[in-house]
Order: sequence, then structure tokens, then C-alpha cells
Amino acid sequence: MLQTSPPAVPAPASARKPILQLVGVRKSFGGFHAVQGIDLDVREGEFLTIVGPSGSGKTTLLRMLAGMDSPSEGNITLHGERINDVPPNKRPTCLVFQSLALFPHKSVGENIAFPLKVKGVDAAARKARALELMAIVRLPETYHDKNVMKCSGGERQRVALARALAYDPEVLFFDEPLSAIDYKLKKTLEKELKDLHRETGKTFIYITHSLEEAMVMSDRIGVMRAGKLVQVGTPEEIYGAPVDRFVCEFVGEVNSIEVTRGADGGWSGVDVPGAFKVQPPRGSAGDGGMDRAFIVIRPEYMRVLGPGESADNRIEGVVYNEYSLGSRIQYQVRVTASGGGEKVMLVELSRSRALPAGADARVTLGWDAPDAFTLRS
Amino acid sequence: MTHRRTHALIWIWTLFVVAVVYLPIACGALASFNKSRYFGFPVKAYATDWWAKTLDSIEIGMIVRNSILIALLVTVLSVLIATFGALAFARYDWKGRRLYQKLIMLPIFFPQPVLGLAMLLGFSAVGIQTSWMTAVFAHLVWVVPVVTLVIAIQVYGFDPSLEEAAIDLGCSRLQVLREVTLPLLWPGIWSGMLFAFLLSWSNFPLSLYTAGADSTIPKWLYAKMVAGYTPMVPALGTLATLGAAALLLTGGLVGLMVRRRSAS
Repeated sequence: MLQTSPPAVPAPASARKPILQLVGVRKSFGGFHAVQGIDLDVREGEFLTIVGPSGSGKTTLLRMLAGMDSPSEGNITLHGERINDVPPNKRPTCLVFQSLALFPHKSVGENIAFPLKVKGVDAAARKARALELMAIVRLPETYHDKNVMKCSGGERQRVALARALAYDPEVLFFDEPLSAIDYKLKKTLEKELKDLHRETGKTFIYITHSLEEAMVMSDRIGVMRAGKLVQVGTPEEIYGAPVDRFVCEFVGEVNSIEVTRGADGGWSGVDVPGAFKVQPPRGSAGDGGMDRAFIVIRPEYMRVLGPGESADNRIEGVVYNEYSLGSRIQYQVRVTASGGGEKVMLVELSRSRALPAGADARVTLGWDAPDAFTLRS
Repeated sequence: MTHRRTHALIWIWTLFVVAVVYLPIACGALASFNKSRYFGFPVKAYATDWWAKTLDSIEIGMIVRNSILIALLVTVLSVLIATFGALAFARYDWKGRRLYQKLIMLPIFFPQPVLGLAMLLGFSAVGIQTSWMTAVFAHLVWVVPVVTLVIAIQVYGFDPSLEEAAIDLGCSRLQVLREVTLPLLWPGIWSGMLFAFLLSWSNFPLSLYTAGADSTIPKWLYAKMVAGYTPMVPALGTLATLGAAALLLTGGLVGLMVRRRSAS
């Protein structure tokens, strides 16, 4: 067959219009301010993950989006309409609970078809749709009449997902549903969830405390801390250009060196002696008028300099530990700190470039200014 | 062979306890088959005359009907009150919940004769004529706390996010109750019903004070022991015990069957 026009390419997520908008959303319980002013546009069809340590307010935020709590202040709009006080059963959204909340007295099929039963769909149509959804989430047809409590952890995840899809929501919320799953299965389910997101084209909002989960699945990640969204961006932006030390340390291991500006305008180390070349902080002109700052270098951007190799910045040190990370090896390197103490720097090299001498070897660490980033102290 | 001795001792002890518990009931049954009017041991002549009289008696028929009617009403009302009470008790967090939890449990530990007397005084103070209806009320005061406790245990046993999930999937409050809450509470409600019926069926002190001119089985047994004993007393007593045992057995079997069916 002749194809006269190329297949339609869906617009990139960043170009789509917002489906959910949050403006100045706050939630307090008595004197405790769980969510402290959140502005966020969720784009139609995106996979957005809110990540943060426990107690950061992410679950409270999700409960407000799902309609189980209403904001103390601010507005939540869906397609431009205010939904602050619309109850969950009147919202085109559905939440997959951390506990999954499967009905223990119903079979797999009855659980999945539950939203259809509530809507008054007849039994035959319910069963047909349940079987369709079971195929989508890769559950065998024979499971239709199985007692849901006799399913394994991974199977239950799939049942919960199929049940949420049966409701046919515009937005799906996930409250850490993979937190109690073993590592290998979790990796599989993460990929399946991402595939499902692409196939259904629905908007997914996922919350987790695991950055690894967020990185694998998301179009965008929002990092929450103490009730506030500290940064929202693509996984690359969050990892490569964190806005502050909290985000930076939350999303991975880092080396940080505190620096101060001397009278001549050059930077010198506070905790590690020496002069350093500093990259201007992202988004600000020049050095942003700072007198003190942190240079942050991720372990995989730290190089071990061979004879004759050069870099913008260099530090001498002694390797004292190495850890295998599988395809990569991490070294801990002691460098002399100001005042005679020691500071540990992390270097990560791919296995093919492993240091031959291993422990106790003297090495020269180096990095170019653009490979590091600068944060306000 | 200490193991063997332990085993033997366990058996002896168990038999002893069972004998102590069931011998009086057997004695009652024995007394009802006595041919003569007054009980003496050993029984000289056995007869089923008194059983026939018991089953034929119009008075006893009325009393049994009273007891059944009161117990049925107490069952229905207490389960209704206790189910919603248990949900308020165990599910929702509200101001005064802890106080309510303590207050509602307290009547279980009141001496029943005192409770009965207090209610009798209360009824006459407000000018209510005591009858089987006031007895129903009195039984409820004592039975509702017990049934609330039984159902509350079931409520504690299930994850509140199940109800939230049901609402999130489109249920109205009523649909949540019908599709999720009640089916999950059902085992607790069923045991609560059995408790309610049997506690009311065998209650004497509250009925004595609050049933007025109407009589129940325990009240009649007592009255006849005080004056006018015949072997019809142990016969009706045995009948009441067998009735309770039969109800428990049926209740247990129904519970088992329902569980089997939902498990398959």
C-alpha cells in the first residue's frame, strides 16, 4: 500500500496544553503546614513524577488532586474548571493506592470490572471489558475468577492498574504502588507502566520517594521538600542542573567544594586548599554576584588525569577504597583538606577504564569547569 | 515416659472441665424425665409425661414466643445500632471518640440486677408501664455494647483505603456501603447477631425487673422454682439450652459455608 503522508507524530509533551493546573495550593492540618504554596501546570498526556523524602507533603498533594482532601488555600483546575471541592467520585481521575486497595471479597475479574458495575454496565459487557483490560496489563485470562488475595504482589499491581483503567480516567494518580515490590519485578513493572502510559496516552501523575523510579519513567520530575516544589523539570534537567544542594544531593552522589572569592576576583577553596576555575551559575549572568559558593562535581564527571593530561581544576589524592557498581567502579579518594584534615572525593569510572593500581595509588583528580555546576552557599 | 504422662494429664484435665461444665445441664435433663413431681437421686422411675405437658402448655408456648420475639427484636435493633456505632467507633476520627469508646463499653461491666433495677425506677419515674417492650429496651442497653465490640473488631480488620478506593472508582456513599463495607463486615455482623440473640434469650436479671407482667423463659423458670416446681422447669430449661445450642451450630455452619463459597 502506498503511504502518501508520514504517520502523525504526537506533539511533544512540552507543547501540549495543561490539563491540571495548581495555583498557590496550600494545605494545613491544625498548625501543621503540609503543603505550602504549589504552582504547577500538568500537561495533557505527560508522565509527571513528584519525588521527595517522606514527610515532604507529596501524599497530601496527591490526595488533593484526587479529591480526597481539599486545599486550605489556592485553586486546582481541570480543563480550566475549578475542582477544589469536587468529590473523587465526580472527578475523571483515579488513584492507584500504595496498598492497592483491592477488594478482598471480589475475584480478579470483579475487582477490575468494579467501576463498570458501579456505572450500571451489564454483566456480559463487564466481563468482556475485564478480559480486554487483563490482556492489556498482561494477566492470563484464566485469572478472571481467581481470588484476588491469592495473587502474587506483581499480579495484584496489574489488577489494581486494570481496575483504574476500567474507570477510564483522564488522569491516573499513583501513590508509590511499587514500594513493596522486589527489585527485579519493580524494574519490569516500571517499564510496563511506561509502555502503558505511551499506549493509553493518558496523563500519569506518580509519586515516590525513589528517584530511580522517577528517572526511569517520567517525562518530567517535580522535587518536593517540606511542602514546596523545589524544582520541576525533565530528568536530565533535574540531574544535570539542580537548583540547589537539596535537589543536587537528593538526585545522586556528589562532590562539593566550598569556594570563596578573593580580592583579585579569583576563587579559592575553603575546605580544600587551592585556586579553582568556577563555572557561572546557570541562568545568571556572570557569577551572579556571589562571594561564596559550592562547586558541585558528579562522580562520573571527575577524571583521573594521566601524565600530560590537563584539566581546568586539579586535586592530588590517594585512592583508599573501591566499590564495584557492576558496569562501573567507584573510588573513594582522600585529598588533603584545609587545616591538615582529609576530605573524601568520589570518582566513578567505567570498568574498562579501571585504575590498574587500585588501593593506595596516588592519583591526580581533575575536571573542567563546564562539567561542574555552581550553587549558592 | 514423661511425654505419655503429660498427654494423660491433659486428657484427664480436659474431661474434668467438660464434665464440670456439662454435668449440671445433664442433671437438668435427667430431672425432667422424672416420673414423680419432686426430684430425688437416683431417679426411681423415668417418664416423658412432663415433656408432653411442657410442649402442650399454652402458658409455656406464650412464654417461648415472648422470649423469641424479644430476642429477635434485640438482634435486629442491636445489629443496626452496633454496625453504625462500630463504624463511628473504629473508622472515623472525631472529637469525643475516645470518650464514646469508653462510655459504650461500660454497661457490659455493670451488675445486671442493678442495671435492671435502675431502669425499672427510670421507667416508673417517667410513667412508662413495663412490658416485653421495655424489656427489649433494657436488653439493648446491655447487648448493644457487646455487639458493637464484636463488629468493631471486624471494622479494625479492614483497610479504610478500600472505601476511599470505591468512592474514587465512582461509588456513591450508599454503593460503598452495599459493595464494600457491608460485605467485609458481614462475618462480624453475623457473629454479632448470634451474640445478640443468645444474650437476650438467656437473660434473667434485666427481664425480671423490666418485663412487667410479661414473662420470658428465664423469668418463668425462676418464678416456678420459687413457688410451684414441677419437672416442667428442667424440661423447659433443657429445651432452651438445646435451642441455643442448635442456633449456634446452624450459625457456625452457615458462616463456614459462606466462607467456603467465597474462597473458591
